[in-house]
Amino acid sequence: MKIIKSAFPLAIALFLTYAMNQSWGTVPPLGKLFSPFHGFWMNAESPESGEPTEETLQIAGLHQPVQVVYDEMGVPHVFAKDDHDLFLAQGYLTAKDRLWQMEFQTHFAGGRISEIVGEKGVASDQFQRRMGSVYGAEKSFEGMKEDPAANTALQAYSDGVNAYISSLSDRQLPLEYKLLDYKPERWTPIKSALFLKNMSFVLASGTDDLKMTNILRKYGREVAEDLFPNYPFQESPIIPVGSPVDFKPVPIPAAAADFIGLGSSMTTPEKDPNIGSNNWAVSGNKTVSGLPILANDPHLTLSLPSIWYQMQLVAPGVNVYGSTMPGTPNVIIGFNKDVAWGVTNVGSDVLDWYQVKFKDASKQEYWHDGKWKKTTMRIEKFQIKGKKDMVDTIFFTHHGPVVYLSHEKAFRSNIPVGHALRWIAHEKSQELTTFYQLNRAKNYEDYKKALSFYSAPAQNFVFASNEGDIALWVNGKFPLKSKLQGKYLLDGTDAAADWQGFIPQAHNPHVKNPERGFVSSANQFSVDPSYPYYLGWQYAPAERGRRINERLAVMEKITMDSLRGLQNDNFNIRARELLPLLFAQVKSPNAAQSKALAALKSWNLVNSPESVGATIFENWVISLQASLWDDEFSADEKVPMNRPAMDRTIQLIKSEPAARWWDDVKTPKKESMSDIVMKSLQANVDSLVKHHGPQGPEWAWYKIKQTGVRHLIPGMDALSRLNIPIGGGGTIVNATTTKTGPSWRLIVELSKEGKPKAYGVYPGGQSGNPGSSHYDDLIDTWAKGELKPLLYLASPDEKSNRLRKKITLSK
Amino acid sequence: MNKLIYGLILVVIGALVGIYLPWYAMGVAFGLIAFALNMPLKSSFLIGFMAGYLLWIFSALWLDMQHPSTLPGRMAQVFPLKGNVFALFMLTGVLGGLFSGIWTWAGARLRQK
Repeated sequence: MKIIKSAFPLAIALFLTYAMNQSWGTVPPLGKLFSPFHGFWMNAESPESGEPTEETLQIAGLHQPVQVVYDEMGVPHVFAKDDHDLFLAQGYLTAKDRLWQMEFQTHFAGGRISEIVGEKGVASDQFQRRMGSVYGAEKSFEGMKEDPAANTALQAYSDGVNAYISSLSDRQLPLEYKLLDYKPERWTPIKSALFLKNMSFVLASGTDDLKMTNILRKYGREVAEDLFPNYPFQESPIIPVGSPVDFKPVPIPAAAADFIGLGSSMTTPEKDPNIGSNNWAVSGNKTVSGLPILANDPHLTLSLPSIWYQMQLVAPGVNVYGSTMPGTPNVIIGFNKDVAWGVTNVGSDVLDWYQVKFKDASKQEYWHDGKWKKTTMRIEKFQIKGKKDMVDTIFFTHHGPVVYLSHEKAFRSNIPVGHALRWIAHEKSQELTTFYQLNRAKNYEDYKKALSFYSAPAQNFVFASNEGDIALWVNGKFPLKSKLQGKYLLDGTDAAADWQGFIPQAHNPHVKNPERGFVSSANQFSVDPSYPYYLGWQYAPAERGRRINERLAVMEKITMDSLRGLQNDNFNIRARELLPLLFAQVKSPNAAQSKALAALKSWNLVNSPESVGATIFENWVISLQASLWDDEFSADEKVPMNRPAMDRTIQLIKSEPAARWWDDVKTPKKESMSDIVMKSLQANVDSLVKHHGPQGPEWAWYKIKQTGVRHLIPGMDALSRLNIPIGGGGTIVNATTTKTGPSWRLIVELSKEGKPKAYGVYPGGQSGNPGSSHYDDLIDTWAKGELKPLLYLASPDEKSNRLRKKITLSK
Repeated sequence: MNKLIYGLILVVIGALVGIYLPWYAMGVAFGLIAFALNMPLKSSFLIGFMAGYLLWIFSALWLDMQHPSTLPGRMAQVFPLKGNVFALFMLTGVLGGLFSGIWTWAGARLRQK
């Protein structure tokens, strides 16, 4: 009894220790986290100031010492004696700033989030794996290893990351590990492949086939083709109309028989349609300097830590500066002394669905081409934090994985159940070779060769060289399709519906030194209908591309600053077109509507941060689309459909005022175009008043849009930057929306002397540590539409007052 | 020995243990010291609490002065303290104090037959 009494406090102490050493739901381990000797207090980093500091770090595996100098933005400039050391240093230094992000993103890509967050991550993880993310990464890794240079890069990069991981004690772990209470595991080259494949997920996983089939089933082919046309009413394609074709096309496969299919249903969010990008290059005869200038701003989900990490990588045969993607070797978008390049996404259709007919419930065989064929199976194991492991079987036909069986619930509403997925992201590929060679390219021929290795996600690679060339290749591996193949769900039993090979890479759309003196892309249609192959029926709306092309056509004496102006252009070309059409339909508006109309009439059509007109217009577009189409196209949430595009709506207003679609089928009355416009105006003004009070400064565009750069952990507002005062919009050149926007802005002016001038910025900072001043220090510059001069050094000893820190990595 | 000296011993040992060992070693060390020095049971919790409280709060303050950053402000939002950094320091101290106090008390109690 006495012993129990005297040991009782000890039991309490032990229990308290246990309780404070582990996480409870979302509450992190309080003892470990708050201990100033171990927890978050250790993660504070003060800004560097004064004379550059010098430091030497020992790293196993280096052949020779590597010199690293950091500038005031925190960009490491890396000087190595060979490629191996260069990539080892790249891995090490990237991990030093971004380890948690690298691992978290690859965990996400590989469907392993539930290992960190537990059961709530399982549905997303299963979706990733069912879509074949791990399978695709394995295939792609096989391809990458075939190129010795890429293989060296992957291995050395991985060694570098691991050298950093093994140098860390628990108390030095990045903050997020402490908050979520786990530890980094060893990096492997396949993680780099997973990261690259995840870019296909981000950029090339959009699929409307299911919704199109649902529309086909409800309204028939004629209506589907009329409302969802295969080329927009208004477009300014990437490859200028009339560009010469320098190849002899291969024969196009015959179309398979029409297939209606079963369609299907379900619900939850999809790929953000606002992810897109701009790039362009202007030739020397349009610039003040007489040499080309290149500009690029890839639009992605705005996140912290940033998706990009700037670096300068120097070794014999290479001196390249640009943005890298934490998790993969090489610079992805950048420049060297001779050339510059950038990318935007290509919206071609590289993802199709095949309705599967299994023989029986065992799913061992499926019907194809008049025979029963064997499925293959892949077992995926899930380790779920706080729960038992889960095992999942994925069935594959020769097309690819059956993502959801017909009785399962899909994770996203656009994913059909009972269908096999044929996707370019599952092909063996060599993207790393492309970037390795681009980093070292000297001229157009080098660039062209580098692109021939690239598969996915397809990109518009813009290019400029100091020899005066500008070019753009719409580049990637494109299936050789019959016209419209894969616009709708396909018949998995019909061999004629299979992909029949690929378009020869040399036939990919391209243009070099066009007469108009510039090349550009903004995710719009790659080509006009005269191009001999079918690439896809749906691309990003044409507005950004049209605006960029109309500006570049008239701009002369171009400087980097005038292109910076264009990157930040907030002019609303859609409003210019649509507003007069809408004004003409307005009849007897009430007081609030009249006030809104007055604001629109005096609006300068610029989506500036403070603009009230921009808010009313953008909200009107949404309510107009809803008022016009939702009665027919979102009547049944179990049969998801898309609304026709805004481009089609504008065409309808202009030339089909009596179309059946104007009538709201949910009311007994027969509505006219004017009725629907008024209904949408009412919904627009009512919703703004309801959510933001009466019309006034509270309706400023930036307050409604609420652009934020959010931490990768959902809901982690404390580590995010919200409500950033910035203009723009989804169809604006400055494509900043609530969650997406220009994730990296780059402008490069080439020079004959090999001293290019470059400016860039991204909405974040070099460090992934929320305790560092470099965590988000570039966001304000970015929001103001300004750029930072990029420091391009010739040697580690070059003098510059911008250097803050020198590190020697030695073996 | 008076309370102040006990407290000083705990602070010094706590700092050393904190620098070299896992975070919970501080508690175990305090328990052992309380046991070895036969600390008065009545004031043991208070002595331990004050030692842990002061050690954690001043270490956190020192780190924050060495590396001024926005991190405390952010952490005061991660935890629902409305961004109040003062409250974050207090919370750090109280957690350190509670943990140390209980262990010191446990050590002292074990020694009492």
